[in-house]
Amino acid sequence: MNAEDLERLADRELRRLPPPRAPHTLLPRVMAAVEAWANRPWYSRAWFTWPAGWQAVSVAALALVVAGGVLFAPRVEAAASNAIAAVQMFAGGVADVAPVETTAQSARILWRTLLEPLATYALVVVVLMILACAVFGTALNQVVIERAEQR
Amino acid sequence: MTDVSLFEAFVRRYQDMVYGTAVRLLGSPAEAEDAAQTVFLKAFQRFDEVGASPAAAGWLKTTTRNECLNHLSRYRARWQFFSELTRPDRSEGDYADSLVSPLSHALDLEQAELREQLERALRALPDHQRVPLVLFHFEELSYQEIADALGASLGKVKTDIHRGREALKRLLPDRP
Repeated sequence: MNAEDLERLADRELRRLPPPRAPHTLLPRVMAAVEAWANRPWYSRAWFTWPAGWQAVSVAALALVVAGGVLFAPRVEAAASNAIAAVQMFAGGVADVAPVETTAQSARILWRTLLEPLATYALVVVVLMILACAVFGTALNQVVIERAEQR
Repeated sequence: MTDVSLFEAFVRRYQDMVYGTAVRLLGSPAEAEDAAQTVFLKAFQRFDEVGASPAAAGWLKTTTRNECLNHLSRYRARWQFFSELTRPDRSEGDYADSLVSPLSHALDLEQAELREQLERALRALPDHQRVPLVLFHFEELSYQEIADALGASLGKVKTDIHRGREALKRLLPDRP
């Protein structure tokens, strides 16, 4: 028997097989799983299934956090500098703080020269990427459904 | 909110199709039941879109197929690594022998019994033979589509399907 004959034979015999029947346990299992899922609080589900209002609130909250970070970063830096100065004052008479001061100074220079100019851009990029992910995920959700419907 | 009784009717309508697809692809009733549950849960989560759609059956078929292929690649031996190997507990030569009597006896069996044996033999095939065979004969995918879905070469898919058919043929009575 050549390959084509074998293909025809297998196709004929396999298509004669009656479709397997689902066990009686499947329906109760599915309904129990569905009930458990439906009773979950909305915030423990995937973000895409949250109520639209809460999706909007969460995006707004995220935007606020990012904006707050941008606005308050200089104040945080100033507070950190003050704290370091205070530590230096207290520790000045007790121990040699030169290594600490050098390290703090290096960190400050590194922040001002390398990181601070990029921080705003980095935050903007992060926000844009989060928004892009949200848009892409929503669009993908729709495309999957549409493609399945076209089949 | 999804009407639970509507969804229950939906499950009753499609459960045989979903389970049948899963059990043939996975070869295990227990795993097929798990996969079917996952598929229906996904259907419930988007029941507003899927439930009333005329393409619900197609969506369920596709989702079931993807769920099973994901399950196979996630929880079983990696396709590319092990597909050329035989299972240590079930070699290709003796799996059919373990399920049925020799061909001469099979010829005497009732047609229904023969089909039952064929179904069992199909489920007992190694994953790398059963899955492409089911995708070809039941899901009506082309060789190329199967190769794409499984991430295997076209030649390997053809070889695996051919070997699967050869294995099943040993169960069938010799007729044109």
